[in-house]
Amino acid sequence: MTSMHIDREQWGGDVLLKVVGRLDTPNAKPFEASLMEVVAQTAGGIIVNLSGVDYVSSSGLRALLVAGKAMRTGKRKLALTSLQPQIREVFDISGFSSLFEIT
Amino acid sequence: MMVVVLAEILGGLGLLFFGLKTMSGHLQNATGRRVRALLRAATRSPLVGLVCGMVAGAATQSSNAVALICGNLVRGGVFTTRDAIPVVAGGNVGTAALVFVAAFDFRLVVFYLLALVGFGFHFKLDRRPAWKEWIWVALGLTLALLGLDFIKQGPRDLDVALIARALDDGLSPWIGFAIGMAAAALCQSSSTPTILVLALMQAKLLGFEDAFFIVLGANLGSGLATLISSGELEGTGRQLCYVHILVKAIGCAVLLAAWIAVTLAGGDPEAALAASGGADSARAAVSMLFLVLQLAGAVPVSLGRRLTERIARYFSPPSVEDDASRPRYIHRRAAEEAATALDLSERESARLIKLLPNLLPDLDRGGADYSRQDRTAFWKGSTAIALAVDHFLVDVIRAGATRESLDIALQQQARLETIRALVDTLHDFSGVVAEFRRVPPLAFNLSESLRTIVLSLADATDGGAADDFDLLIALTADRSEMLDRIRRALAASAPGAEEDSRRLMHATSLFERAVWLVRRVAVALRPPAIEDRAPEGDPARQETPEGVA
Repeated sequence: MTSMHIDREQWGGDVLLKVVGRLDTPNAKPFEASLMEVVAQTAGGIIVNLSGVDYVSSSGLRALLVAGKAMRTGKRKLALTSLQPQIREVFDISGFSSLFEIT
Repeated sequence: MMVVVLAEILGGLGLLFFGLKTMSGHLQNATGRRVRALLRAATRSPLVGLVCGMVAGAATQSSNAVALICGNLVRGGVFTTRDAIPVVAGGNVGTAALVFVAAFDFRLVVFYLLALVGFGFHFKLDRRPAWKEWIWVALGLTLALLGLDFIKQGPRDLDVALIARALDDGLSPWIGFAIGMAAAALCQSSSTPTILVLALMQAKLLGFEDAFFIVLGANLGSGLATLISSGELEGTGRQLCYVHILVKAIGCAVLLAAWIAVTLAGGDPEAALAASGGADSARAAVSMLFLVLQLAGAVPVSLGRRLTERIARYFSPPSVEDDASRPRYIHRRAAEEAATALDLSERESARLIKLLPNLLPDLDRGGADYSRQDRTAFWKGSTAIALAVDHFLVDVIRAGATRESLDIALQQQARLETIRALVDTLHDFSGVVAEFRRVPPLAFNLSESLRTIVLSLADATDGGAADDFDLLIALTADRSEMLDRIRRALAASAPGAEEDSRRLMHATSLFERAVWLVRRVAVALRPPAIEDRAPEGDPARQETPEGVA
């Protein structure tokens, strides 16, 4: 199992999460738990910096989808930033680009 | 002289084999649908099952065909294995019909049949749908009977008494039994060697004792031949082969025990067998022997079907495909009450959707979740469930549903058709991905993306929340422009990678089709309250699969 780090910063009214590592099956659950914790603890938007992520599987995508759904219900913003080209391709193909704000 | 006799016998055998194969194949085409309908009624009791099996066996002249149809009905959820046991047993009894036909003096019949077939072809009856199969059945029967006549007439110029003496001295019960087994294995049938025995007895080449052991050997041999020829079958399909063998083995054991008992009691079993045939002893006795042999196996196997099922399950436990293909909610009797039936079929369709992720590899785990064979078994299972739901909905409609129920049933049928298309598309996609020795990044991205979408569909179906379907509809929005861009890049790929490019192109087409089908299912399943709230001009309901392969 490859380790994954998530650094959390306050960014005005939003929370910035910087993820480093692989969003694969073993890491998907802790990643989802971290995201949902932020969703529950804060009222603003969430920005996820994925510049340190070079691998995303269906489990990682599902974790983002769960958080995205919760944010959508609360009419809050979940944005993704700094995607590496191969990660951007997964998001485009899976349709996630139309669900999330990607910068 | 010997060459002429040999030619006549071999020619007769050739005609017999070809005739029987032609007749059986066209009988199955002509009666298959009716036989299926008949077998659906066979679940009422073991006796009804046994009688239905007998009629089906007589109509198809193949106990293997009956077992095969039963296997499909079991996989389709129409039958349980226990229901199928008396039917398979009865199928064996039904095949005795041909042996009785062959026992008559049929030369005159052959001429009339030849006339019928000849006139039929001359007047082009073979081109009329209602007559086509039956003309071929008549031709098959004519050729089989003609072949038998050749076999019977062949040895007329030989010193029959001399051969008979030689055979009589050399043919011990064990050798007779082994010959019967080998002949049955060769013909894949027990009735064909029995008919040959009939012919040889009429030519005075075989005695009653020889005939008894050859017919017994042929009976057991055909059961074993079924098992050998069912090499790739697993689970339920193979269980019915063991039922087949049990029928044959018990029949042999009962008659062998009777033969030994008569001998031990100081009687003459050969004379007793001859006497059972009356004045026309040889033909009638062998036909009766064959029928009693089938009944002696079929009746106990049908009456003790619980034990039979346990034995069959021991030798062939249910396979992954069996488990995957067994409907959980629908059952035949439920079709009579439309409202409940439609609720059950709705649940079964939902379950089918929740099984969809099993059709795709989990590449993140190196496809270690299920093997390729398992995924194929899931695909076959899902196809069988979809077929069972479709038949169930047809039964609901036929049972005389109200207008409202009829509308719901038709909606469910349309949705089921989309789910079936999705099942096939996911299976095809999975097959393309499995062809790569090392999965390229694009194939990985397509596969994992599709897996995410399909898992989301399964989740939304499970939860039933309108928001989940809305999210899924947004997720499956048109992406043909992006996929076209990928395809153009693939078309311009470096020389030497054409094969991979072709596979990737195919994968993108299948991916696009699968996403469109998921969208259609999501739109169909979205609860109406949300549909009312859907933004104006939402193209989800009107769209067509433009550019989708």
